[in-house]
Amino acid sequence: MAQTTAVYVKKKRKLKPFDIVNAIIFIAISIVILLPIWKVLVDSFDATSGYGLSFLPRKFTAEAYRMAISRADLYRPFLISILVTATGTFVGLMLSTLGAYVLIQWEMPGRNFLSYVLLFTMLFSGGMIPTYIVMMNLHLTNTLWSVILPMGINVYNLVLMRNFFEGIPASLDEAAKIDGCTPMGIFFKVVLPLSKAALAAIGLMFAVSYWNDYTNFKIYITNNSLFNFQMKLRSMVMDSDLPMDDGSLSPNTLQNAAIIIAMIPFMIIYPFCQDYFVQGVNVGAVKE
Amino acid sequence: MQCKYCGTQITKKDTRCPQCGRAIVRPEKNIRPIAIAGVVIAFVGSAFPMIMNSNADLKFQPAFGFMNYESPWMWYSFLLLCVLSVVLCAVKLEKFSIAPTAILGVLCGITYNNVCLRHGAPGMVMGLAPILIYAGCAIGVIGVFLDVLKFKKKEISTDYRYTGHKTVWQRIYIYRWFYLMFLPVLVFVIIFNYLPMTGLRYAFMDFKSGSEPSYVGIKHFVDMFGLSEISKLSSKQFMRAFGNTLTLSVIKLAMNTFAAVLISLLLHEMKNIYFKKSVQTIIYLPHFMSWVVVASIFKMALSANDSGLVNSLLMSLGVIDKRIDFLTSNNLWRGVYYVVNLWKDTGWGTILFLATLSGISPELYEAADIDGANRFNKMRYITMPALANTIITVFILNLAKVMNLFESVFVMYNPSVYDTSDVIQTYIYRQSFASSGTPNYGYTTAVGLFKSLIGCILVLICNKASKKVRGRGIV
Repeated sequence: MAQTTAVYVKKKRKLKPFDIVNAIIFIAISIVILLPIWKVLVDSFDATSGYGLSFLPRKFTAEAYRMAISRADLYRPFLISILVTATGTFVGLMLSTLGAYVLIQWEMPGRNFLSYVLLFTMLFSGGMIPTYIVMMNLHLTNTLWSVILPMGINVYNLVLMRNFFEGIPASLDEAAKIDGCTPMGIFFKVVLPLSKAALAAIGLMFAVSYWNDYTNFKIYITNNSLFNFQMKLRSMVMDSDLPMDDGSLSPNTLQNAAIIIAMIPFMIIYPFCQDYFVQGVNVGAVKE
Repeated sequence: MQCKYCGTQITKKDTRCPQCGRAIVRPEKNIRPIAIAGVVIAFVGSAFPMIMNSNADLKFQPAFGFMNYESPWMWYSFLLLCVLSVVLCAVKLEKFSIAPTAILGVLCGITYNNVCLRHGAPGMVMGLAPILIYAGCAIGVIGVFLDVLKFKKKEISTDYRYTGHKTVWQRIYIYRWFYLMFLPVLVFVIIFNYLPMTGLRYAFMDFKSGSEPSYVGIKHFVDMFGLSEISKLSSKQFMRAFGNTLTLSVIKLAMNTFAAVLISLLLHEMKNIYFKKSVQTIIYLPHFMSWVVVASIFKMALSANDSGLVNSLLMSLGVIDKRIDFLTSNNLWRGVYYVVNLWKDTGWGTILFLATLSGISPELYEAADIDGANRFNKMRYITMPALANTIITVFILNLAKVMNLFESVFVMYNPSVYDTSDVIQTYIYRQSFASSGTPNYGYTTAVGLFKSLIGCILVLICNKASKKVRGRGIV
């Protein structure tokens, strides 16, 4: 017996050729993923127009970032992105939690009907043009409401939230009811405090989708002053619509800096919240 | 299926249990959907013309149906009756839905008669509407009868588990605040999901901005499929978009799933926990970038200028001797698209597989070690069977979204590669918002309706498959 244990330990410590090959494969994959991003970062600090194989800035400059902070046509889209993300996440979380809380009331008459009303929208949709016509008739196009409100109701996230809520023990709910708590009171004092992880996971999903939103802006908003940063980035990179005042900066530098600015908020937040994101995916597909 | 009394396995054909000889009671199949399907067919039929011009080259222009019939009340009451029938079926009062379904047929008859009297002329033929509506009504009524017959045999039992002994009205009173809490969700869903569905009627109309919509029957669908001589050109574009949608999304799905499985298998073999964590953090990273950012990064990396990373790398390695413009070449665009998709989403796709892999009991591997299994054997006989179910699940979940391809293509394509990259959603977008002439919202709505229908069928098929494979649906 003792001998087998010894063999087991020895076996574990030995580094096999497979492990080395495996590690090399993953180092290669990581390089493939990080290299384009690193290249963009380097070029955003490089005052020369950038050479294909330079992985460190040749002539360092932070002028592009200084420009982004000081010029209104560059920081305004950024502020609009923040505004839309904050408002949208709030609206989305409010609707998801309210809807999910109602859908876990098993004895409520019509609960099934209401959940069918929601689930049917996952099955069939009016499509791009009828939605656009509805928005036009409601006079929402060219206002920020047209990008905040339609994404606020996300049935998939609502169902995810319901799955989270179902994990809360029903006895807590009953205890609060016996103590004379109103449904709203239970919702705010029992359910929400117990589901902070769920709120974080789904809130982050909403925030990412609002920050990255491009389609809705493209369809509903034609007014330049309401563009978010994704739209601004798109016009800077694809149409070379660049704010140029003097020749000190190459267009390449500014474009690369814009890419970095567009992705930086979630690149900073994400490593700290990775577990919440992963949890969200797993609850959605594996558990009932 | 198993016998209720003795638990022996019984086949589908047996009427008596081979072990204990008792008669087998099978659960009744629900046939209420037949009644609902009938009404839906009638509802769809009402959008089609009742009579129309038989000459295809006139694009079926003079067409008359419910929508442009002189008194719109007929159509409104028709729609109301459809909804009434479906709701009656849905709340298990299907017996009473016979009446509205029958009245549907009568309404159709009256309207058809009137339309023929007013607009009937030589060269006009009967459209699809009467046929579909009558067929729908017949199916609906027959479905209800089948259901009623079954209902008589069924023993009535009430489930007291949840309901307690309170009546429905008492329970509604108890839960009154919850209805109020659901109101905001309902308002949002109705405005942003159900209101657009009513806009699908434009698929049967000509609707240009600045002018009133006018009913044209199935003209747009004829155009889409190139059934008349004039429409061959627009049909070619539509068919190209449809083909591209299927090709791009199916190959993308297959490649992403395969790569994700491969990477998660290798990652699972990784012993060093810190190395594994950091690799995971890195490969999940691109998922959080928007498609605009990803497209911009790759536009920089693939650029044919001096600053292009890929071109410079290939040049210095001596693979190519002239810089290639990847994104404007019809031959290369699809390859680039697949690679970019792999770069962005493979890492994120491994999450589910890794969760499954970490759920496999290590005892299985130890037992296999003792039996002298090598790495390949363990993978073949332990890992793959455990993973198969998850692979199928992921495949099904994503197959349902095949028609939704939009943003990833929209940010990467350009006019020179429409042949290989144009998908249905981008086609709709260009026709409605970026075309040179006055956009016809009617036509693009029709294309969108076709897309939605295919998507709906795909979701239903995947739902069925999902129920078979893992015991629960996807919606």
